[in-house]
Amino acid sequence: MKIPFRQYFLPLIAAAGTTFAAGFAQAADATPVTGGALVWGVETDPATLNPQLNGQDKTKLLLRNVFESLLARTADGGYVPWLANEYRISDDGKTYTFTLRDGVTFTDGEKLDAAAVVKNFTRLKDAAYSGSTSAGPVSKVANAKALDAHTVELTLSGVYAPFLDFAASLEILSPKAFDSAQLKSGGTEIAGTGPFILNRYVKGQDIHFVKNAAYNWAPKTAAHQGPAYLDEVTYRFLPESSVRTGALSSGQVDVIEGISGNDAGLFKDNPDFTYQNALNTGTPYSLFLNVTYGPTQDVKVRKALLAAVDVDAVLKSVYRGERTRAWGITSPIDAQFYDKTIEGAYGTDPNLANQLLDEAGWSARDGDGFRTKDGKRLSIEIVQAQATVRDQRNVLLEAVQAQARQNAGIDLSVSYVDAGTYTDRRKTGQFGSIANSNTPTDAIDIEYHYLPIDQGGSINYSRAAAPELLTWLKAAASTLDAKERFALYAKLQRFAIVDQAYALPLYEPEDQIAAASYVKGISFRQFKQLPESAYDIWRSE
Amino acid sequence: MDVENVTALHQAPVAGLQGRFWSIRATLLSQILGRIGSGIIVLWAAITLSFISLHVAPGDIVSLLIGEQIRTPAIEAAIRAEWGLDEPLIAQYLSYLWRVLHGDFGRSYILQTDVATLVLSQIWPTLKLTGAALVVAVVFAVVSAVATAGLRWPRRIAGGMELVLVSTPSFWLGIVLLFVFSFTLKLFPVAGDRSFSALVLPALSLGLSLGAVIGQVLREGLERALEEPFALTVRSWGANALTLRLRHGLRHAALPAVTLTGWLIGNLLSGAVITEQVFGRPGLGKITVDAVLGKDLPVVLAVAILSAFIYVVLSTLVDTLYLLLDPRLRART
Repeated sequence: MKIPFRQYFLPLIAAAGTTFAAGFAQAADATPVTGGALVWGVETDPATLNPQLNGQDKTKLLLRNVFESLLARTADGGYVPWLANEYRISDDGKTYTFTLRDGVTFTDGEKLDAAAVVKNFTRLKDAAYSGSTSAGPVSKVANAKALDAHTVELTLSGVYAPFLDFAASLEILSPKAFDSAQLKSGGTEIAGTGPFILNRYVKGQDIHFVKNAAYNWAPKTAAHQGPAYLDEVTYRFLPESSVRTGALSSGQVDVIEGISGNDAGLFKDNPDFTYQNALNTGTPYSLFLNVTYGPTQDVKVRKALLAAVDVDAVLKSVYRGERTRAWGITSPIDAQFYDKTIEGAYGTDPNLANQLLDEAGWSARDGDGFRTKDGKRLSIEIVQAQATVRDQRNVLLEAVQAQARQNAGIDLSVSYVDAGTYTDRRKTGQFGSIANSNTPTDAIDIEYHYLPIDQGGSINYSRAAAPELLTWLKAAASTLDAKERFALYAKLQRFAIVDQAYALPLYEPEDQIAAASYVKGISFRQFKQLPESAYDIWRSE
Repeated sequence: MDVENVTALHQAPVAGLQGRFWSIRATLLSQILGRIGSGIIVLWAAITLSFISLHVAPGDIVSLLIGEQIRTPAIEAAIRAEWGLDEPLIAQYLSYLWRVLHGDFGRSYILQTDVATLVLSQIWPTLKLTGAALVVAVVFAVVSAVATAGLRWPRRIAGGMELVLVSTPSFWLGIVLLFVFSFTLKLFPVAGDRSFSALVLPALSLGLSLGAVIGQVLREGLERALEEPFALTVRSWGANALTLRLRHGLRHAALPAVTLTGWLIGNLLSGAVITEQVFGRPGLGKITVDAVLGKDLPVVLAVAILSAFIYVVLSTLVDTLYLLLDPRLRART
């Protein structure tokens, strides 16, 4: 089953063309200028600079300056050449062959060849190097070998549909990196093939990259070819959102990311600045309701909670309309697997909520107006790790709490706990609800949330183990037929949200970028939707 | 007491520095030996207590390191083997002590870097910040106390201002200072540890509330001193009010203020966390908080050792200051 690029390419060019027209509207008004430096205020200091071990989406924009992958993805989910010119999937769906591009070198002087790529995949399978990553998609690789200097063959133990997404987007490190003492922490010894070279990193302060003058292998999804425009780019770590906003508006940085709903108005419709946002991929921010503990064990209570909360009103009041409501199990922008018919298939209905709770036996009320059964209050405890609260989610949870109380007499409490307690509660399942989102594409996000906990569902916070879930997810992962996969995920979505109410989807997280108007060429990565590296960025003054 | 004060006044400028330092040296020698001994005990206690409390706190290290990622027995085993967590606790503890004695502080579980390098690279910005904040605090306290002690309205105004500063969260003060002096007036840069001007606002936001506390104590002490009979004596020599306050009154008032300052420097180190966060400065604060939350034992222990060390040094300094400030203590020892 050879999939020629042409087949993907032609429709893509049309699709990509429209995206570019939107993303680069301001870039089109002048010829890009080479040279200059840029300072970007970002929220998150990376835990590690090794992209294979770093799971923080918010740091991908920095790491992508240095590290590249075999294929790039287009807006509609297609694949185009990058470090690999071509790929082939065998008829049985188990063997993936990548043909590498000629003349690509890592910035430490090593050549990108088949042996280097094989080394990346084999090392990643080693738990001592990659920890949990070794149990992810790479664990399906039974054998990785170099057929010749340019051809890599990966043989899987079984058909696994999300594998191409994983293999195509794995950041390829220089083979020398695996012998460096910095391998796990990342650092200047860990080279990639990208348009910039890591020059300096001061933890808690900034990270600085300089141009890779030899760079000449940008994917077709980029806006230009050849070396980057900027000579250097610095990302400064400013964890406080209001400080980032102030730094940009006072001209101390050129670009910022992560803008609160309240501050967006300062940059939107202001000729001195540009503002763009893009919805994340993956599972929306949702309240997962524990089916093995407390009142949420009863499907009627779970359904009542979904009916009690007016999500639209909550989002409007908390984010001033700057966030997008979510309905399903995956992001609405993922056209491959998101079934839109879920929208409106359920909704706010306080009468239904109260009726369901009466039926479930929670019919009495206590002095505070909360429902009770056998003298016990209808309490659902949301457990939230204090350290991971961001994007005003504490305010959001308060608003949801108020609605649950007002519309249905449900006592939704939020406990902010330290990381250790959070870990313990997750492990023992002693919680009413955990709120979570995650961003992997190609339905890997759905697997993490809906596979049984001991079979790959590492963040299955509803703790659902209905046999249907496993059957559908296994069937979807073991076919390469996109239509069949779509149908299975659509079925799962309806079952999980409408029939079983495992989760209350709230909103789709997004990234925001604001920049001074002289900064051109800022964009979001196609398909994966995260802020793109500094490769296409230039300064008009 | 009066007599002592008078002799002290006669000695101080004339009998000279030499005699004073002789007596200090004798006491210092015996003190230093005692200090080293107690310092080692404090360091050992800091290591042991941190080790125990991290193990008692909820959440096991392996689960925290895995976080929300996939968990399999093979992965758990790999993590345990990497960090030696499969050994019994007492063996982990003893081997840690052994390695520290050889200057090996280990590698961070989370950041995967050498702890000694990490802590040393982050301690300097934190020391700069706390040092500058201390200067701000002392200058503010001395100026405010000397200028207003014993004067009815000025002391009320200064006292009120100090109360506001003490009760202002440093997070909020930092944001306000940034908004006014960086974003609006553009006098100081927002972030980082890159130039002296970048140190001004963080030092103010951290140091002012400390200065306000010390200022109140210092003012009270000063007022008490000015009521003592020796103040009248000094005045009768024709010394003006400022000389009286600076040269004679301040020394009496300083003892409780110095004690308090030594103790409050501990607060500076922990308050630095928030200031570093707001101003995007590198430093030990954020690293320590993350390490404690993530049970990153090697980092927590290294920071514990370092802070215990700083405490030992500071309290020695404070005690030495007492001797310089108050001749009575010298005579007694």
